[in-house]
Amino acid sequence: MSAPLIARLRLLAPYVLVCSIGSFLYYTAMQIDFQRRSGVLGPDFWPKLILGLLIAVCAYEIIRLALAKDLDTGTAGVLEEITHGVDTAPGPETPPPQNQPLRLLAGMAATLAYVALVATTGFFLTTAVYIAAFLIIGGYKKRKVIATMSVGGALLLMFIFMKLVYVSLPIGSGPFADLTILLMKLMGIR
Amino acid sequence: MENTLTLLMHGFIQVMQPVNLMFLTIGIVLGLLVAVLPGLTLVMGVVLALPFTYSMDVIPAIILLTAMYVSGTYAGAWTSILFRVPGEPIDVPLLWDGYPMARKGEAAQALGWTLIAAFFGGMVAATTMVLLAQPVAKIALTFSSPEYFAIIFFGLASVVSLGSGKLANALISLFAGILLATVGVDDTYGAHRFTFGVPILADGIDYLVVMVGAYGLGEVFMRMEQGFRSPQLEKVGDIRTRLPSLAEALAMKATFIRGGLAGIFIGIVPGAGATVASFLSYGIEAQYGKRRHQMGSGIPEGIVAPQTAATASVGGALIPLVTMGIPGSGATAIILGAFLLHGLQPGPQVFQTSSHIIYALFASVFVGIIVMCLIGYFATKFMVKVLDLPEVIVSAYVVMCCLLGAFAARNSLTDVWLMVIFGIIGYLFERFGFPITPMVLGVILGPLAETNFMTTMISFSNDWTVFFTRPVASPIMCVAIITLIWPLFRHWRQQQRRTK
Repeated sequence: MSAPLIARLRLLAPYVLVCSIGSFLYYTAMQIDFQRRSGVLGPDFWPKLILGLLIAVCAYEIIRLALAKDLDTGTAGVLEEITHGVDTAPGPETPPPQNQPLRLLAGMAATLAYVALVATTGFFLTTAVYIAAFLIIGGYKKRKVIATMSVGGALLLMFIFMKLVYVSLPIGSGPFADLTILLMKLMGIR
Repeated sequence: MENTLTLLMHGFIQVMQPVNLMFLTIGIVLGLLVAVLPGLTLVMGVVLALPFTYSMDVIPAIILLTAMYVSGTYAGAWTSILFRVPGEPIDVPLLWDGYPMARKGEAAQALGWTLIAAFFGGMVAATTMVLLAQPVAKIALTFSSPEYFAIIFFGLASVVSLGSGKLANALISLFAGILLATVGVDDTYGAHRFTFGVPILADGIDYLVVMVGAYGLGEVFMRMEQGFRSPQLEKVGDIRTRLPSLAEALAMKATFIRGGLAGIFIGIVPGAGATVASFLSYGIEAQYGKRRHQMGSGIPEGIVAPQTAATASVGGALIPLVTMGIPGSGATAIILGAFLLHGLQPGPQVFQTSSHIIYALFASVFVGIIVMCLIGYFATKFMVKVLDLPEVIVSAYVVMCCLLGAFAARNSLTDVWLMVIFGIIGYLFERFGFPITPMVLGVILGPLAETNFMTTMISFSNDWTVFFTRPVASPIMCVAIITLIWPLFRHWRQQQRRTK
């Protein structure tokens, strides 16, 4: 496949995806179960109206991108028009950011693991490990700071939310619950 | 008028109570810090502060959030001017003239103009807010569902057409948000919509969860992908603020007035916020200002116009919130959330039932602006030091606040799961050029739009022309449609010119 075609397909992909999801949801909206009253719009009307508009916009964009000679000619909002062509004063040179997808995926996985584990391992332990993992994934290298930020931060957040804001954070189960309860006692949290 | 002044005085007495004054100062300082840090936006800051207000009384909670909102429009100017690092999108226009002024050795003057502009914009808008609130609330009492729908439709249209990026993407983002708001059990029929058999979805998706995920976590993921690169800061000498003389300020009165009016007007329009106000005001100055041809070369007008408008937009945005219960921006949506958490529904009736809370909110804007300017004058040097903090550490705590914020609302881990999902969606939106704000506004205003649309259809026998025949709804609908069509027309005209 030629490079321009790949570029065009890459631009088309999000609209095709959204259009497909929209169509599926439209089908789902058609199955909404309710007792119809004559002359009154049902609960399916509003979502179907919005989905219809969503599909129409996607279809327009797909056709436009498929047929357009210049791929950068989409209609822009007013802010885009104002900022377009404004010269900013030259500043210190900063190289463009390089994407690091592995770092992102690791960060997302750590966050998902946190949510999956916090009910079992309790707030304190999970948070301390998560903050440490986040800092390491983020490329931070000072070990003492990582240790202080993770353990100290978890204790501080636990104190603020359990003692001051009265949120009952997950204490965990089994030995993890014992640890959390011990810490709660030490911090004077009931 | 006398009644308004009496109520406002009572509001000042409330704000001056030590506890409230303490939370106001904390809010101002947090707002300033959030605005200085490039990874944190003003809306994100207000979102993250919300869970800390759960156990507070309603007045200190609202004072804290409003103070953050006010000061969040100001401090980003410091880093724009001094380091060419805009704290958030609002501050981008400030670097076009602010940074060149700093390069010419006029950083102190530039900071002085910023302070005066924020003070003037904030005070004018706060006064307008106090004067307009009761009359608007009285008018709003006469509104029926077609008028409410027209106002919301206008808000949704403006968030799409006034934003940056492609119009089609903004529309898709908006429709996605409105659809998210339909998830759950329908109020009228009790029908399940898009719940897919998941019990928690029957309660619907809380807009706060969407906001925390999309604005907070999504932004952190975005910065994580870029490796948390802190900006390269230039060495700046002594950081001082030199206020302009009265004569210098008076010579620029037209710029102040234009900026203030633009800010108030944009603030009132639901859907447009401080960023739009700041950009639009700069655009107006570049078109109509006395020294329009020198804009961008480092002149004070380029600072005064956007800063006045940005701070003025706060007062404007609070008007539809308190008088009609319609939040016009992300930050006002959070303030609405704080109201609702304390069992208070803003709207025309609130002036009868809880006027002391509303006037405490109004008074806090006045006091907040004064405190903000005092801190701005004396502490800029110390506040910008926060930029030395490694971004990854700040981000780790932002994520923790997001997770805790989502959990604390209903003590539910399912909300945390949803928040993480919206964080990933927020990241994907930003990655592929779909703006987040329309989606968030769609989730917030979607239920109001649906309720008022359906009520109108039931009341007027499915006659949709009623939106175009009633004296108040009709012009608003027409303006909304023009707002939507205008970018398309401009685009078509540009293409015509290109082909010629």
